[in-house]
Amino acid sequence: MAPKAFELVRLRPEQVHFERQGDTLSLTLLEQADGVKVGGDSRGEVPGVRHFPRVVLRLCFPVSADSVYLSVRDASTEEQEEIGIIEDWMSLAPADREAVAAELGLHYFVPRITRVLRVKEEFGFLYWTVETDKGPKEFIMRNSVVHYAREVGPEHWLLIDVNQARYEIPKVSALDAHSQKLVKRFLYL
Amino acid sequence: MAEIETMKTEDKQQMAEKPIWTDGLPPSVLRVLNAKGGMPEQIRMAVKSDLAPDGKFGEQWLLIDAKYLWVISRENGTATLRHQVPLDKIQDARVERCVGNGLIQVTVDQKPQVLLHYSNELMDRFGRVAQYLRERALSGPDIPVPNPDADSHRCLVCARLLVDPSAKVCPHCIQKGKILKRLIGLARPYWGQIGVIVVLMLAGVLIDLLPPYLTRILIDDVLRAEGNRSLLLWLVGGLLGIQVARVIVTILTNWSTVNVSTRFTSEIRDRLFSHLKRLPIDYFDKNQTGRLLTRVNQDTAELQGLVSQMTTFALNILLVIGIGAVLFSMSPSLGLYVLIPTPLVMAAAYFYYRYMRPHFERFWIARWRLNAMLNTFLAGVRVVKAFAQEEQEEARYHNRNQRLLQSRLQVDQAWSKFYPLISFAFGAGGLIIWYAGGQAVLAKRITLGTLMAFLGYLGMFYGPLSNLTHISQALNHFLTISQRIFEMLDEEPQKEVSNPVRRAKVGGRIEFDHVTFGYDPYYPVIRDLTLTIEPGEMVGIVGHSGAGKTTLINLLCRFYDVTSGSIRIDGVDVRDLSMEEIRKQIGIVLQTPFLFRGTLAENIAYGKPDATREEIIRAAKAANAHDFITRLPEGYDTIVGEGGTGLSGGEMQRISIARAILHDPRILILDEATSSVDTETERQIQEALETLVKGRTTIAIAHRLSTLYNADRIIVLNHGKLEEQGPPQKLMESKGAFYHLVQLQSQFARLDGVATL
Repeated sequence: MAPKAFELVRLRPEQVHFERQGDTLSLTLLEQADGVKVGGDSRGEVPGVRHFPRVVLRLCFPVSADSVYLSVRDASTEEQEEIGIIEDWMSLAPADREAVAAELGLHYFVPRITRVLRVKEEFGFLYWTVETDKGPKEFIMRNSVVHYAREVGPEHWLLIDVNQARYEIPKVSALDAHSQKLVKRFLYL
Repeated sequence: MAEIETMKTEDKQQMAEKPIWTDGLPPSVLRVLNAKGGMPEQIRMAVKSDLAPDGKFGEQWLLIDAKYLWVISRENGTATLRHQVPLDKIQDARVERCVGNGLIQVTVDQKPQVLLHYSNELMDRFGRVAQYLRERALSGPDIPVPNPDADSHRCLVCARLLVDPSAKVCPHCIQKGKILKRLIGLARPYWGQIGVIVVLMLAGVLIDLLPPYLTRILIDDVLRAEGNRSLLLWLVGGLLGIQVARVIVTILTNWSTVNVSTRFTSEIRDRLFSHLKRLPIDYFDKNQTGRLLTRVNQDTAELQGLVSQMTTFALNILLVIGIGAVLFSMSPSLGLYVLIPTPLVMAAAYFYYRYMRPHFERFWIARWRLNAMLNTFLAGVRVVKAFAQEEQEEARYHNRNQRLLQSRLQVDQAWSKFYPLISFAFGAGGLIIWYAGGQAVLAKRITLGTLMAFLGYLGMFYGPLSNLTHISQALNHFLTISQRIFEMLDEEPQKEVSNPVRRAKVGGRIEFDHVTFGYDPYYPVIRDLTLTIEPGEMVGIVGHSGAGKTTLINLLCRFYDVTSGSIRIDGVDVRDLSMEEIRKQIGIVLQTPFLFRGTLAENIAYGKPDATREEIIRAAKAANAHDFITRLPEGYDTIVGEGGTGLSGGEMQRISIARAILHDPRILILDEATSSVDTETERQIQEALETLVKGRTTIAIAHRLSTLYNADRIIVLNHGKLEEQGPPQKLMESKGAFYHLVQLQSQFARLDGVATL
C-alpha cells in the first residue's frame, strides 16, 4: 500500500466511455499508453481496458461552475475512490455527454424556482408554493433567513427546506414581479 | 408537500403472511404488474417515490411480491416497467445520499444496480426498504416485512408530517388549554406571590382612575369665580398623594413580577438540566448542541420575557375594562364616541406590527451578519495577517457595514412615514371627543370638568388597547415555547434496568457475541462481530479510520445499545447491568482530554469526589503528573478552565490518566490516548499508562502502532468486521493486515525522523 498520490488524475474524453442502464452509470476506461496510473479497482479482463460497473459523479464546483472538474468515482469501493477527473465534460462524445448529464441531473436534485405563487408564514415556518424546472412543489422552510437561505452569489439564493432539500433562485430580479415581491418580503432583501 | 399514502398498518406477523399492500396502488401500475407476470395478490410491500426517472417530480413505485422486486414508473396515467429483479438474487441493498435526494441500490450477481431516486422527504421510507432487503439477503425470505412508514416524523395527534423533526406535535395540534394548565401547575409554588401581583395590579388600575376624577372636581368646583380655595390645596395634595402611591405600587408590581418570572424560569431551567443529564447519548447525537443550548438558555429566557409580557397584557385588559366602564358611567353618549376611532387605533397598531417588522428584521439580520463577520475576523486574525488579506477583509466588512447602514436607513424612513399616521389615528379620537364633548358642555349636558376628565381617561384607554392587538401572536409564541420545553421534559430518559445484576468482585472478561450496530440503523458500522477478551488481558484495536474502533468502545460503555447480538461483562449482558455499575467498572482515557472548570485536584478526583489528598497525589504520581503539578504556582489548587488553559496537551492527558487511576476501574479503555502529543511526552504518558494497565483488562485504540507492542493481542478491524487477531509478533510474521499497517506507518515514521533531524 503506497501513500495516496496527490496528483490530479485527468481523464481525457477519448479515454472514457459512459453507459447508462436504468439509473446505473457504468464506465469503460482505456488506460493511457504513457502508463499514468488510474485509481480504483480494476476488473477488466482485456489488458489496458477497465470496466467499472457503477460509477458516481461529483461536480467539484456545483454552484459556480457545473461544466468543469467532474470527479468520476468508483461506486463499488467503500470510500467511493476517485478514478480521475474530467476537466471539461462538455467536450465528451455526444453519447457520453448525454449519459453524464442525465446522471448529474439525478444526483444534483436542486429544483430551480421559476415562479413563487404563495408564501405563508406560520409558527416560525415559511410555507412556499412554487413552480420549478422540475415541476410544481410546496415546501416548508424554517423562518430563519440567516440559517436557511444562503446567498451564493449576487442575487443568487439557495433555500434549504426542513428536509435539507435545496431550492435555487438563480437571479431574483429575473423572476416576475409578484414572485420578486414575495421573495423580497420573506427573505428580507 | 407531496401527500404520502399511508398503508394500512397491521402487526408484523400478519403482514408477512397476509399482505394487503395493493390498496393505494394505481390501476395502471397493477396492470403492468399483471402483464409482466407479477402477483398483485401477493404484494408484500409497495412504496412510492416522488421523483420520475428523468429527475423531475413524478411518481415511481417499488413493489415487492413473493418472487420479484419491481420498479414501475407512472406518468400521465401510463405505467412503465423499469426493473424486475428476482428477490433471491439480491445480495445486498443500500441507500445512498445524493444532493437533495437519495437513491436505493441493490447488488445482483456482484453488480450494483440503482433502482430509483427519491427526494429527501422519503429518506426514512427507502432506508427501511433497503434494510429489509439486506436482512432478507442475510437471513432468508421468512423475515417479517416492516412497515416502511413506521414511526416517521409525524405529528402524534393529527399524523401530519412534522415540519420540525425535533418536535413531536405539530403547531396546529398544540393543546393550548393543556399547556396553560401545566404551566399553572408548575407555577403552584408561586400562587401566593401571583395573588399579591393581581392585588397590586388592581390597586394600580384603581389609582390610575383617580386623577381625572379629581381634576373634574378641580375644574367644576374649584376653578370657578366662586371656587372653594381651601379645597384646591386638598385636591392638589390628593393628586400628589396619588402619584406617590402610584410610584410605590408600580415599583412593588414590577419587583414582584420580575421576582416570580425569574424564579419560575430558573426553576424550569434546573428541571431541564436535571432531565437532560438523564437522557441517553443518542438524544445528544440527534439534537445538535446548538439546538439544545437554545432550548435550555434561550427558550427559558424567552419564557421569562413572555411571562412578564403576559402580565402586561393582563394589566392592559384590566385598564381597558376599568376605564371603559368609567367612561360610560360618566357619559354614555360620549362613551360611544370613544368607540368610533377604536377600529382605527387597532388597525394602526396592527399595521405597525406588519409594516415595521420586516424592516426591523432586515436590520437585525444585517447586524447579525456584520457581527458574525467581525467575530470570524477576530478569531482568525493571525490567518488574515499571515496571508496578508487585511485589504480583502476590510472590503468585506465595509460591504456588510453598508448593508447595515441601508437597512437602518430603511427602518428610519419607514418609521418616519408611519409615525405621523399612527399619531393621527390616536389624535383623531381626541378630536372627536373635543367636538362632541364641547357641544355637550355648551348644551350644559355635562360639565367642563367631566369633559376634561374624559380626555384624561381617553389617553389611558387607547394605549392599552393598541397593545392588545398583538396579544394572540404573543400568546401563540408563548405556548409554542412552553410546548418545546415540555417536550424536552417529556423525553424518555435512558432506561435503567429494573433488577440490575450486582456483583461484589468483577473479573473483567468481555465478550462480544455476534454484535451488529449502526448509529443509523440503515448503515451498520459493526457487522456480526464476535470477540472475547480475557480478564487482565491488554488488547490493541487497530484499523483504518471508520473501521468501527471507537464504536466498539461506545457499545461497551453502553452509550448505545447494539442492534443485534449482545455484549457481556463477566457473562452478564451489559443491558442487565445498572449504568452506575458499568461506569464504575470502566475507566476511559480519551484522545482529547477534557478538564472541567475547577482545581486540578477536583479534576483528578472527578470519579471519586471523596478521595483524600494523599490518594490524589498518589494517582498523580502514578500518572507522571505530580512533578509538573507541584511546579505550578498554585500546585494542585490550580484552577483550569473549560479548555484546560495553561496546560499542554500532554499535561492535560496525564491529568486524565490520574483521574482514571483514582477511579480504579476493572476495565480500562485507552482511546488514542497518546495520539496528539510529541514523542517525549508520549514516552512519559506511556510510563504512566504502564502503571495504570497493570492487572486490568485493557482495550487500547492507537493510531501509532508502536504503542501497542506490549499488547497481549492485536485486533484488526476492517469496515466493522474482524479481519485479523493475534499477538503482535505473530501477526508481523504472518504478514497480514497488521503487517501492512505497520509497514505503511514506518514509512511515514522515517519521513518523520528526517523532518526532526
